[in-house]
Amino acid sequence: MLKISSIRSILESTLFVWIGLTIIFTLAGNSLILPDWLQVFGRSHPILLHFPIVLLLMGLLFFWIPGIDSKPEVREIGEISFLAGCNFAGITVIAGLILAQEEYTGELLNWHKWAGVIVFSGCVLLYFYRSIQAKAMRISSLLLAGGIIATGHWGAGLTHGEDFLLAPMKSDEVELIPLAEAEIFADVVQPILQAKCVSCHKEGKIKGELRMDHIEGLQKGGKSGPFVLAGDFEKSLLIQRINLPEDDKKHMPPKNKAQLTDEELLILSEWVTSGASFEQKLVTLPAKSELYQLASVKFEGKKIYSFDAADAEDIEALNTSFRSVQPLFPESPALDVSYFGISTFPPKSLSDLKSVKDQVVRFSLNKMPLAGVDLKFLKDFEHLEELHVNFTDLDAEQLKEISELKTLEILALSGNTIEAASLQHISKMSNLKKLYLWQTGLSLDQQKSIQTALPETEIDFGFDGKGILYKLNNPIISQEKMIYQDSLELSISHPIKTAQIRYTLDGTEPDSISSAIYTQPIFVSSTGKLLAKAYAAEWKGSGSSEAIFMRSGIAPIDFKLINEPNSKYKASGAATLFDLVKAEAPNHGQKWLGYQDDPMIVEVEFDHKANQPKELSISLLYNEGAHIFPPSKITIDGLVNGKWQQLASTIPSASTSALSARSELLNFELASTNYEKLKITLTPLPKLPNWHPNAGSKGWVFVDEMIFNE
Amino acid sequence: MEKELLEEGLNHNRRKFLSRLSLGVGSLALGSLLVPDLFSGKKEAEEAMMSALPHFAPKAKRVIYLFQNGAPSQLESFDYKPVLNQRMGEELPESIRGTQRLTGMTAGQSSFPLVGSHYKFNQYGESRAWISEVFPHTAGIVDDICIVKSMHTDAINHDPALTFFQTGAQVGNRPSMGSWLSYGLGSENSNLPAFSVLLSRGRGNGQGVYSKLWSNGFLDATHQGVQFSNSEDPVLYLKDPESMSRSERRKMIDKIAEMNNLNMQQFNDPEISAKVKQYEMAYRMQTAVPEMTDISKEPESIIKLYGPDCLVPGTYAANCLLARKLSESGVRFVQLYHQGWDQHGNLPNEMRLQAEDVDQASAALITDLKQRGLLDETLVIWGGEFGRTNYCQGKILVDNYGRDHHPRAFSIWMAGGGVKSGMVYGETDEFGYNITENPVHVHDFQATVLHLMGIDHERMTYKHLGRRYRLTDVSGKVVKDLIA
Repeated sequence: MLKISSIRSILESTLFVWIGLTIIFTLAGNSLILPDWLQVFGRSHPILLHFPIVLLLMGLLFFWIPGIDSKPEVREIGEISFLAGCNFAGITVIAGLILAQEEYTGELLNWHKWAGVIVFSGCVLLYFYRSIQAKAMRISSLLLAGGIIATGHWGAGLTHGEDFLLAPMKSDEVELIPLAEAEIFADVVQPILQAKCVSCHKEGKIKGELRMDHIEGLQKGGKSGPFVLAGDFEKSLLIQRINLPEDDKKHMPPKNKAQLTDEELLILSEWVTSGASFEQKLVTLPAKSELYQLASVKFEGKKIYSFDAADAEDIEALNTSFRSVQPLFPESPALDVSYFGISTFPPKSLSDLKSVKDQVVRFSLNKMPLAGVDLKFLKDFEHLEELHVNFTDLDAEQLKEISELKTLEILALSGNTIEAASLQHISKMSNLKKLYLWQTGLSLDQQKSIQTALPETEIDFGFDGKGILYKLNNPIISQEKMIYQDSLELSISHPIKTAQIRYTLDGTEPDSISSAIYTQPIFVSSTGKLLAKAYAAEWKGSGSSEAIFMRSGIAPIDFKLINEPNSKYKASGAATLFDLVKAEAPNHGQKWLGYQDDPMIVEVEFDHKANQPKELSISLLYNEGAHIFPPSKITIDGLVNGKWQQLASTIPSASTSALSARSELLNFELASTNYEKLKITLTPLPKLPNWHPNAGSKGWVFVDEMIFNE
Repeated sequence: MEKELLEEGLNHNRRKFLSRLSLGVGSLALGSLLVPDLFSGKKEAEEAMMSALPHFAPKAKRVIYLFQNGAPSQLESFDYKPVLNQRMGEELPESIRGTQRLTGMTAGQSSFPLVGSHYKFNQYGESRAWISEVFPHTAGIVDDICIVKSMHTDAINHDPALTFFQTGAQVGNRPSMGSWLSYGLGSENSNLPAFSVLLSRGRGNGQGVYSKLWSNGFLDATHQGVQFSNSEDPVLYLKDPESMSRSERRKMIDKIAEMNNLNMQQFNDPEISAKVKQYEMAYRMQTAVPEMTDISKEPESIIKLYGPDCLVPGTYAANCLLARKLSESGVRFVQLYHQGWDQHGNLPNEMRLQAEDVDQASAALITDLKQRGLLDETLVIWGGEFGRTNYCQGKILVDNYGRDHHPRAFSIWMAGGGVKSGMVYGETDEFGYNITENPVHVHDFQATVLHLMGIDHERMTYKHLGRRYRLTDVSGKVVKDLIA
């Protein structure tokens, strides 16, 4: 059989185990990673803690028994009880430290935790030094007892809520009031009066014969007159007094008392302005009114949902690449479901949502192709408040299903065509707070009728653009190349589907009556210019888009530049002129040949066995701002019997203002085809005209392509 | 005798104590098994913290930030100062200018003549906000927006100021606001990047934007802003090469992921898993992006709402329309930059052109979000990196003047997403030089934006190079007055 002394020795040894573990768990703080079984142990803390409390207090009591020192067997009971208490305290502390990892945080936890650790250490010390001095023992034991009670109290606070013990004695608990229920007077104005006025205007101390501790008193007013007159700013004494200068004797609250803050002043003023009602609810004020904006922040804006949260794994499983399912805000059981991705929309996946049907509060299916999808399942979503189904091709049947969802508060139907019958159904949704009906094809009368049927609902019909006349964008011409050999396809498009495109190929401006209507791609086999304009109802006609196309029938067999181009603008030399690649207008740095001091002169030779060219086109760049002008003269000479003979010449029309960079095509017909070689001369403008900021400087000629045809 | 007894007792206790101490040490060792990082330093608590985001109920789900790059003048837009017109040409009083640092562009000026707005102002809406005549469409939505006239910043030159607005620091190695939100809240739609960037250029004096502004900084590369361009390929390098089928692409991505994961096991570099995620998203973007950029299904009224310019890719209007489409598809943060607001000279002419480019489309975005029921959950922000001086840079001519950079007071507006509507917040002095009421620092603005998104700006941090960083650096206060 075990002797008492060996039990005692074991218990003393085990104390050190608990001390060690306590040290390590305390030091480790939050970085503990707990196996499940230890969590179970941790959770037994609330059971375990009763043992040390009882045993320690009992042990401590023994120090106070008079004459205990002379009764070793009695003392032994006390000591063993205290030692056992210490051991339990150790185990409880360790369990507590483990439990603290779970979800407890905050100041209260810190107090409890450290008090527990200190009490445990205190008890251990007291135990080992128990025989030092009776008086010191008694004082320490008192301190420890106090510590035990305090620790227990803080612990209880953690489990049952702070101030659990004293709660029944307190009455003025502050409750979180939902915004929807807040009253202007009771919840906004009254608390200010209570804090700043009532102490002097109450039963037993009715200064100025005004009682402010109940509504009747306020309605009655005081010695000097009425407290408030609804909407009458001037005559309401409340407003008069609080706005007097602080030094004024009649200023309220009196000089030495706590003054109203600016915000409180504003709230009281706005309350009187808004009618000084004693019953009105805050939400009935217009959302933009100052009082509403000031006061609404004081109340719980987010809705509190009472239903249970869905299973976290179910929610996780519902989140896919096309669907997002998230709580409305952290720890809310309410869910927000959105679908994304039009082409990957699987209508069948809607039935997956059954597992969260009680929790879905907001549901967005915007733009999903819902045509033919059965929406009956929405009826099972008992808490659905917000449904977004913009641009989903809903039919009358589906709209009827939706209109029967009684819990809906926000409904976005924009972009769905709504027929008269459907409108009837929607008009009955009197619970709706917001309704979006943009782009639904409703006539003005229909808009009016639904607004009358749903007077409480904020309805947005959106922007219809009627009566606004903008100029259409220019049509877009696409062509694979500008210079081609045999035939070329030209297509024209316009981003606005209803736009009609008219075009010409002869260089004249297209008009909305006689010009050809574009229906399909145009094939050309000559050199020329396509001009196109767009027209549409309720739009102004567009400007014209143009595209140059050049057929190059004959390629030279030899060519030579007589003058070198300017060293900065050499491009690829003479080959640039015959490479059949049209350069972009702004790109004059690399793809164009540039001449300023000398004329551009090129000699070209053709295969004499084939046809000699009769037509010639020259592609030039004009950009007056950059000094690039039409040449002052263009001449084309043919070598006939060893002599140069002029075959064509022109003086291009001079520029009269600076326009943006553009490319121009000049066409020539040669007087004869009986020549051995051709020589083309482009003479730069010797002096820029007077209107130019650099009048008098030399002009540039830029050329990139020459095209020859029969 | 007594002494010996005591000694004996002490010895006995010491021996006992030591032997028992070994028990304690044993339990220490046992306990340490439960603390894996006890001796290896504290593990990043970031992951645990991030799982708790958002910190509270968000008011806005998404942000569209219409950044007016170059700093539009507040004195020609929202901060009406008739005194500047009355005292045109008079010297800016020393008492007003105080110790304000000037840029090198005007510091050498011998005089600082006050210059008033060339444009007329009018009051609009229930808030009776003053708006200049070059923003007629913005005036039309004034009851839906909240104008903040009391913004101020630390930087006085474009790049640091822009970087400060976007990343909370003037030096460019921090994550952009969009990256922080991508990191904190992730993407709503896993087929599109959480942070997208759109660029446009106006007709005024331009300032550059650089990709560092939408950089992920030290965050994982998946949080980088993805730039949508106005070319045929809105997102570069997204298209499959010709003749590559979708299933072949799938196989390739799976194989690459497999190999990357092998590497990941070996090196444990988070950049590797970021890469795998990016390939995966790019694959899904191949179908999601064309859907997104297709405007052929937009009704004609939308074209009239944004203006016909929205049909021209790369314009501000087209970007606003695209921003709406991205945002409605669940992109958390759409960042637009519109260049050309740097009117050091030629202001009366250039600012009108700049305003023409952005006014209608900015207002259209608000109306459009509203008519779809999306404005309540989308925060739209319009503004530049600082303001402009109330004195003239260079000579004042009848129809021509310029304004230098001014960080002390400028105006921005916000709308939707939990911001109070129809409100003008903050006030400047009669010269429009100093803030007199409710100053809002850039960090306050950032804290407020994060707050609207359900994030406590002090708690969203990232540890890098030994310290914790946050968007608002070490300051910033949520401006509660702006929140509805």
